[in-house]
Amino acid sequence: MFIQFLADTWLLWILLSIGGLLWWSGRASQYFNYVFRRYLLALMTLLLVSGIVFSLMEVMPGDCAEKYIAYKNTQGEIITQADIQAERVRMGLDKSLPERWGRWITNLTLRGDLGFSCAKRQTVNLALGNRFWVSFMFCIAGLIFSYLIAVPFGIFSAFTINKPWVEKNPQYSKMEKLFSTVLLSLQKILDLLLRIISYLGLALPNFLLALTIILLYVFAGEPMPTGLFSDQWRNVPWFGNNGFEVEKLYDFLSHIWLPIFVIGWSATALQLQTVRALVVDESNKLYVDAARARGVEGVSLWVGYPVRHSISPLFNSIGFDFQRIFNDLPIVAIVIGLTDSAALLIEALAMTSDQELAAAILFLVALVVISMNFITDVVLAAVDPRVRKSVLGNG
Amino acid sequence: MSVILARFGRKSKQKKNDESYYTAGQLALIKGRFKKKKSGVIAAWVLGTLVFMGFFAPFFSPIDPTIRGADADYRRGAPQVLHFWDENGFSARPFSYTYTKEKSKIDIKTLMSGGLDALDAFISSGALSSSSQNKFNVDKNERRDIQFFVQGWEYSLLDLSVGELDLDIRWDRHLFGVDQGQIHLMGTDEDGKDIFSRTLHAIWVTLSIAIVALVVKLFTSLLVGGISGYFGGRIDTVLMSITEAVRVIPAIPIYLACAVALAQFDLTPIQRYFAIAVIIGALDFATLARRLRTHILTERNQDYILAAQLCGSSTWRIIWRHLIPSFSSYIIVDTLINFPYVILAETSLSFLGLGLTEPVNSLGVLLQKAQDPDIQQNMVWQFFPLLVFVFMIMAFVFVGDALRDAADPYSEKK
Repeated sequence: MFIQFLADTWLLWILLSIGGLLWWSGRASQYFNYVFRRYLLALMTLLLVSGIVFSLMEVMPGDCAEKYIAYKNTQGEIITQADIQAERVRMGLDKSLPERWGRWITNLTLRGDLGFSCAKRQTVNLALGNRFWVSFMFCIAGLIFSYLIAVPFGIFSAFTINKPWVEKNPQYSKMEKLFSTVLLSLQKILDLLLRIISYLGLALPNFLLALTIILLYVFAGEPMPTGLFSDQWRNVPWFGNNGFEVEKLYDFLSHIWLPIFVIGWSATALQLQTVRALVVDESNKLYVDAARARGVEGVSLWVGYPVRHSISPLFNSIGFDFQRIFNDLPIVAIVIGLTDSAALLIEALAMTSDQELAAAILFLVALVVISMNFITDVVLAAVDPRVRKSVLGNG
Repeated sequence: MSVILARFGRKSKQKKNDESYYTAGQLALIKGRFKKKKSGVIAAWVLGTLVFMGFFAPFFSPIDPTIRGADADYRRGAPQVLHFWDENGFSARPFSYTYTKEKSKIDIKTLMSGGLDALDAFISSGALSSSSQNKFNVDKNERRDIQFFVQGWEYSLLDLSVGELDLDIRWDRHLFGVDQGQIHLMGTDEDGKDIFSRTLHAIWVTLSIAIVALVVKLFTSLLVGGISGYFGGRIDTVLMSITEAVRVIPAIPIYLACAVALAQFDLTPIQRYFAIAVIIGALDFATLARRLRTHILTERNQDYILAAQLCGSSTWRIIWRHLIPSFSSYIIVDTLINFPYVILAETSLSFLGLGLTEPVNSLGVLLQKAQDPDIQQNMVWQFFPLLVFVFMIMAFVFVGDALRDAADPYSEKK
C-alpha cells in the first residue's frame, strides 16, 4: 500500500527533497540560498512553459476522441455523434482547458507521466521510449562540433578584426614592414575564408545540404548513410556472442556523422558571431591595455585576458544553443530518415496532429534547456567571482 | 553630414582635434566606422544590388514569371548561354543561339497497330525518360542578338495607390530581351517558366516577409520590453517570466503548429503570406525584449527622464520620445542581424509545405523544388535560386558582422 503510494508519487518526493535540501543549506550559506531561489525560478518557468505549450496545442485542429473514433470507423464500426461525445467524456476532453492542464501537470509532477498519445494509442512515455535520448545526444554532439569550430575561429577572427592590411609602424625597417604586411594580409585573408566557410553552413539550408550529401553517395554507388544503422546491423545486439560488436559501432559511427555534421555546421555561424563579439568586447577593455602595458604580448595576452573572460558568458549560453540546435533537428531528421523524437515531433504536429505527444516533446526540450541554464548559472556563481558578486550582492 | 563623414572616414588620426567627430550623431559615427570594413562594404553592395533587382524584378526579368509567360515549346529547357564571340568573330552586343526542343514524335497509329513489340521499342527508345526530355538542339547559324529596353509584358513599376488615390506607375519596357521568342538565361522549369525571372521575383517576396516579420517583432519587443522596463516591479516579474518561458521553447515547431492551425482557415495566398510573417515575427520577441528591458531599466533613472517627468510628459511620450531614440541604433543593427534567421525560418516552413506554396514565387518555394531527385539529376540549372539565396544570406551576415562592429562605440582604438 505504502510502496504503491510511493511508486505513484516518486517524482514529487524527489523534487521536494531537492528543494528541502537546498533550503536547509541555504539558511546558513548565501550561495545555497541563491541556488534555492534559482531552483524555485526554474520550476516556475517549467510550469509556465507547460501552460504555454499545452494551450498552444489547443489551436491545432481535431481532438483525440475524433481521431480514435475515426480509426474505429475504418475498422468497420458504425459511429454516431453520440459515440464521439461518449469517447470525449471517457478521455476527459469535455473538461475545460485549465482543468485538463491541471490534471496533466499533476500526473507529470507526481510520477513523470507525460500523458497519452492518441495517434500511437499508448502512453507518451512508451511512445517516446529512448528516442528523446537519441535526439538529445545528437544535439549535444552537434553542439560540441560547432563549438570545436566556432571557438578557435571566432577567437582568431576577433584577433584580426582591428588589424590593418598594411603595416605602417614607422619604427620598422623596410624589410620588416614588407614582411609584416604580408603576414597581416595572410591573417586577414585566412579570417575571411574561415568566416565564409562557417557562414556557408548557415546560408546553405540544412535540408539541402543533407540531401546533397546523400545524393553524392547515390552517384558514387555507395549505400546511403540514412537512419542510424544499415540493415545488416540494425537487429544485431551490441553485446553478441563474441563480446562487444566493434563493427556495429563502426556502422553506427558511419551513419551518425551526417546529421551531426549538418546541424553542427549550420549552428556554427551564430556561435562564431557570438564568440567573436564577446572576445572583441573584452579585448577593448582597459585591463587588456594594462596587461599590454605590463609587457604581456601575443598569444599569452589573448589567452590570459580577453579569451579567459569571455568563456563564462559563452558557457552561460549553452542552454539556448542546445535549443537552437534542436530547432534544426526535425527537418534534418526527416531528410535523413531518423526516427528520433524530432521526427516524431514533426509527425505529431504536421501529420497526425497528436497534441499530447507534441506538447510532451516540446516540454522535454524546454526541460533540458531550463536544467542546463540552472546548472550553468549555479556553476558560474560558484566559479566566476564576477557572476558571484552580481547575483549574491556583496559576494 | 557628408562633410563629417568624409573627414573622419579619411583620416582617423586627425579626428581627435576634429570637432565634428564629437558632435556627430551616433548613426553618423556608425556609418563612418562601417565604411572602413572592406568585407562589410562589399557585402553591402552585393546585398544592395540583389535587393534593388528584387524590388524592380519585372524590369530586370525578360519574361513574365507566372504561367502566362511560360514557354510551352521550351519546357525543362537548359540555360541559353550568352556569347560575345564565336567562330564568326566578335560582337559587342551579346548574342545567344537559337535553342529548340526536339519534339518526340509519337506515332499513335503504328503504336496501336504494331501491338506490344512496337510499344516495347517505343519505351526502350528512351523517348519517355527524363534525360531525353531534356535534349535540345542548338542552331549556331541563327544568332539571336540581345536587345536592350525591349517592349514586353506590361507591369506595375511602382504601386503607390493609397485608398482613393490611384497612383500606379505602369511600364512595359524590360532591361533586356530578344526580338523573337524568349531568352532563358537560367533555363526553364517543368512548366516552361523562366527560372531567372522567377528567382528575381522571389527575392522581393521573401524579403517582404522578412520585413513584415521584423516589424512585427520590433513592435512586440518594444511593447513587452518597454512596459516591463519602464514600470518594473511586479509587471516586470510577470512579463519577464513569460518571456523566459517563450524563449526556451524551440521556435520552428511552434511556427509549425501555428501554420497547421492556419491551414484550417480558408485563406488566399496573400493572407496566408502575411499570417506567416506575423506569426514568425510575433513569437520571436524574447531576446530583443529582454535587452530592451535591461536598457530601459538603466536609462529610466537618468536625469533627462526625471526632467521630462517634471515637465509633465506622459508615460508614453517618455517611452517613445526619450527612451526609444536612446537605443535606436542598437535596434537597427539587431534588426539587420536578424534578417537571415527570419528568412531561414520562412524557408524551413516552405520546405515542410506549410509556408508559401506553388505557384507563389518565394525563395523558400524555389528551394523546396531543389530536393526533387529529378531536378538534382536532370535540371541542375534549377539550383540557380539556391545560389542567389546563398549569396543573399552571406551578404546579410557579413553586413551584420560589420555593422555590429561599427555599432560598438568602443571598437575604435584610441
